Amino acid sequence: MAKLIAIKGSKDGLRLQLDEQAAWDEVLDALRAQIGQGANFFNGAQLVVDIGERSLAEEQLAGLLELMRQHGIRPESLASTARESRSSARAVGLAARPLARAPESEDRGEAVFAWRTVRSGQIIRHHGHVTVLGDVNAGGEIIAGGNVLVWGRLRGTVHAGALGDRKAVICALELAPTQLRIADLIARAPEGGAGRFPEVAFVENDQIGVEPWETYRR
Amino acid sequence: MSRVITITSGKGGVGKTTTTANLGTALAIQGAKVAVVDADIGLRNLDVVMGLENRIVYDLVDVVEGRCRLRQALIKDKHFPDLCLLPAAQTRDKDAVSNDDMIALANQLRAEFDYILFDSPAGIEAGFRNAIAGADEVVIVTTPEVSAVRDADRIIGLCEAFDKGHPRLILNRLKPRMVNRGEMMGVEDVLQILAIDLIGVVPDDETIVTATNRGEVAVLDRGSLAGRAFIDIARRIAGEQVPFMALEEQPGVIDRFFGMFGRRPRGSER
Repeated sequence: MAKLIAIKGSKDGLRLQLDEQAAWDEVLDALRAQIGQGANFFNGAQLVVDIGERSLAEEQLAGLLELMRQHGIRPESLASTARESRSSARAVGLAARPLARAPESEDRGEAVFAWRTVRSGQIIRHHGHVTVLGDVNAGGEIIAGGNVLVWGRLRGTVHAGALGDRKAVICALELAPTQLRIADLIARAPEGGAGRFPEVAFVENDQIGVEPWETYRR
Repeated sequence: MSRVITITSGKGGVGKTTTTANLGTALAIQGAKVAVVDADIGLRNLDVVMGLENRIVYDLVDVVEGRCRLRQALIKDKHFPDLCLLPAAQTRDKDAVSNDDMIALANQLRAEFDYILFDSPAGIEAGFRNAIAGADEVVIVTTPEVSAVRDADRIIGLCEAFDKGHPRLILNRLKPRMVNRGEMMGVEDVLQILAIDLIGVVPDDETIVTATNRGEVAVLDRGSLAGRAFIDIARRIAGEQVPFMALEEQPGVIDRFFGMFGRRPRGSER
């Protein structure tokens, strides 16, 4: 089912790719299941819905928008190679973009790597894993579909497994976050500050727990 | 080559205007030609701090909108003829000028001055963007308070986004005694968070208040510790290597390691 939809992060925002061949209802079901798990991931993002070569009638597209609206997701535009889809989009009041078929090599892979300080007000959002070589300061935010590794001090907010993956982990050399989220779970850091040793946050018994890396690895 | 430097902070009330006035004067003492520009349109202050309020005829918006020539709006300082103030308008607001206006203004000032210092308004909106639009360099002023440091962090991120290079930091109003007692963030604590180059530390000093009330700047007061700190900063801006004043006691290795919050490594209680 996961193959029917793909979420890609890019500099400009997020791209939601919907399978071009499968029956439209199946695609919608898959999407419903996905955003049921992690609608938060989309919060505040510039979202382009990419339906490839599929031709969509107005009412089909309206169904998609209604589903997204129920979860508070408002796409910025629809991208398609099919002219019919683009005119449907305009008919329902959504911006339409012709789709330049990007070669696969532009795919940025499953992980991003940031060698800098993520400062207050800055956000890294990616569908895969995120590695930061540097600090994540209070007010900075990372939202990742996969794991998050901070080789530095983590004082900001991190959401790992934001597409619904509770197996995701968050590691930092110094874990002193404002808030941690993994999939649908939220945890606040305990008062009293962090230890000065690497720690890992992970989900155990429906709760986010933290352990020093030295004990976790065993 | 003249340099356009914007002094900004994010948070209000941390000492941007005082810093601009003192650095401008200190650079003029060195013999440089300096223009200080009040970019806080609608809330002008720099003229008051420098004691030049009663000499204002035209202002920045008048220049931008062509009601006067730049030279007519520039006000000569009381002590240094090579130090000039371009005051902000008081009856207009930030929307009266655009980024392009500010870039053009900065470039016009380059022709006559070695240093052009822009005093930025607080915040991250249009006024701030106007103030950094024409800048070659940015100096961030912060105080050792959590909220001021948080805002400075945000501003540094924005400077990166606007391609203004690596801003430098002035830590203002440090109270060495409180730092030594572990009650205030020290220089190391702030630098650890902001991770930018430090260009000066200014101690908390009552002479700043008394000088400002008289419309004088602290750098002209030989007895002012803060004034001496600003003189040092101006020399560093000019490229000199100046050692930092010893304000804090050297913390022991252990204290420094665990920082100021009395943090200790957590056991396995979690």
